[in-house]
Amino acid sequence: MPRNTPQLLPPFSRPASRVAIRRASSYQSDLSALLYETLHVFDLPVRAKTVLLKANLVGLDPRCLTNTHPAVIGAAREAFLRLGAAEVLIGDGPSMDRDSQAVVESMRLREYAGPLSRTFVDLNVDDVERVVLKTHASRLKELYLPRTVRGVDFLVSMPKLKTHHWAGVTLSLKNMFGIVPGGCYGWPKNILHWAGIDNSILDLNAAARPDFAIVDGIIGMEGNGPIQGESRPCGVLILGDDPVAVDSTCARVMGLLPERIKHIARAATLLGHMEPDKISQLGESIESTRTPFALLKEFSVLREA
Amino acid sequence: MTAQSSSDSSQNALFIERVCAPYLTGAQNEDGGWGFQRGSQSRVEPTAWALLALLESASDDAADDATARGLQCLLKAQLTDGSWPAAAGQDQGCWVTSLACLALLSQGQFRESLARGICWLTDERPGEAGRWFRLLRRLRGVRHTVAQNDFYYGWSWTSGTASWVEPTALALIAMRNSPPELLPAQVQSRIQLAEAMLYDRMSPGGGWNCGNPLVYGVPGEPQVCQTAWALLALRDHSERPEVEKSLAWLEANWDRIESPGTLALACIALDVLGRNHADIRNSLCNFYEKNEIMWNVPAVSAAVLAMSGRHEWATRSNPRKKT
Repeated sequence: MPRNTPQLLPPFSRPASRVAIRRASSYQSDLSALLYETLHVFDLPVRAKTVLLKANLVGLDPRCLTNTHPAVIGAAREAFLRLGAAEVLIGDGPSMDRDSQAVVESMRLREYAGPLSRTFVDLNVDDVERVVLKTHASRLKELYLPRTVRGVDFLVSMPKLKTHHWAGVTLSLKNMFGIVPGGCYGWPKNILHWAGIDNSILDLNAAARPDFAIVDGIIGMEGNGPIQGESRPCGVLILGDDPVAVDSTCARVMGLLPERIKHIARAATLLGHMEPDKISQLGESIESTRTPFALLKEFSVLREA
Repeated sequence: MTAQSSSDSSQNALFIERVCAPYLTGAQNEDGGWGFQRGSQSRVEPTAWALLALLESASDDAADDATARGLQCLLKAQLTDGSWPAAAGQDQGCWVTSLACLALLSQGQFRESLARGICWLTDERPGEAGRWFRLLRRLRGVRHTVAQNDFYYGWSWTSGTASWVEPTALALIAMRNSPPELLPAQVQSRIQLAEAMLYDRMSPGGGWNCGNPLVYGVPGEPQVCQTAWALLALRDHSERPEVEKSLAWLEANWDRIESPGTLALACIALDVLGRNHADIRNSLCNFYEKNEIMWNVPAVSAAVLAMSGRHEWATRSNPRKKT
């Protein structure tokens, strides 16, 4: 039974979105308490529901530099359980390494999230169902998507704060590439690149729009991301009920102009808010947490003046 | 294929018989196919893997029956153009066609299906082989983002997209192991281009990742899985320094592997290329004891193929002319 996907609405008919920026100096902080306290404010409809934390697990990551840090994933799982969720699953379909078990073992996920046999869903090899795409921004007409993603009650996109050498940044919207199953489309999910990365991001998020986003910005990645960039300590978790608003806020924290990031600007026409006056900011201010990220010269146009 | 001691061989046979074979027969679906996990949708990839494993190790009536039902399911999934789709309902074939062909190779009675699969593979060209792509590339000039020669191409994951290491290696193995009389005339030129593509995509220090050796001038890390597949595809080139270098990389890195599926593939590749590491098989058994719950059908099947030590599915025949 497909979940009730949030409606696609143009920005003028959407209520304001809420985004919180919380400081977290390290992965050793009490992230569970921090997330619980913040999520509580959002009053999310997760009681007795199944939640899927869609992490960003790109590939093997023994130094925890490229993937969403397991401490953040484990803390989010704990926080949603404390909020009354019946089940909190963790899932992704790594794009660069087809052996998802090797990926989660390399980053020691079980040490933070407990036994994974009933919790972790390898979205690359999950059962699939045909989904006709609604938006036709790219030339893709349909995709086979994981049943777990379609079936959960509450979908949370959990990326790491990173630059990306094709898309400019990879945040909660781009993170949804991971739901496209490698078992159908390969490693990497090259069909999305050929269909146009920016437009595919819009199509994919329209087909499976996250209900919430939690961005691991404690240590991000700058330069030649999403794999070969440099670590960039930023000391924040950024979370909110609108992936476009969350990504726009992340971009501003990174010293970038979201309106110049194609996929964010396009998503703002249908999936959420990009303009600051339609985003209700909680916690820290953007100014107080701004940490300019280094960019490849191809993307210097994204930088704020 | 490998120099296993008799006590190692009997231990491996026991592991297959007591652990792997029951898992595979128990995971078979009503329709004869296998899903990635027990109880999940039948798909071509896990079905082909399970068949390869059972065909190489089948030792009882239950396994024979499972194999027969699995082969029928695989044949039923073949599309009219000779290819196989990744999931039921898809009307376009893709990279799993190579795996399906490998599973049919040992069964003489399915030559017609096999021939149609190989024909489709021979005709299937990746996106960068298209005229428009080449014209656009010429007009735009050379791209500096990734360092690769797009004039060499192999096979893509899905139709109309770019060549990558793993689907290219799988297609090469399927073609090389097919009976020569089933291969279309133009197959040799495809094989040569694909082999050239694999060498072009090798990481600077040996080994392969999915197919990006350098991005913005930064070398990509090789990965065990793709390196194992590429080495299996290039096994007749053991004299080439690239193969030697990549084998050395794999030998130096297999003990860092933390999952059974990849470890089994590494074991197969090292075996087939004549590098005997008896301790790999012990590590594989240990993985099972530590963490059996995360095993899935392809991983268990790969473990069977590694443990059997025969590797006929990967080394059956060689119609390829040396280039």
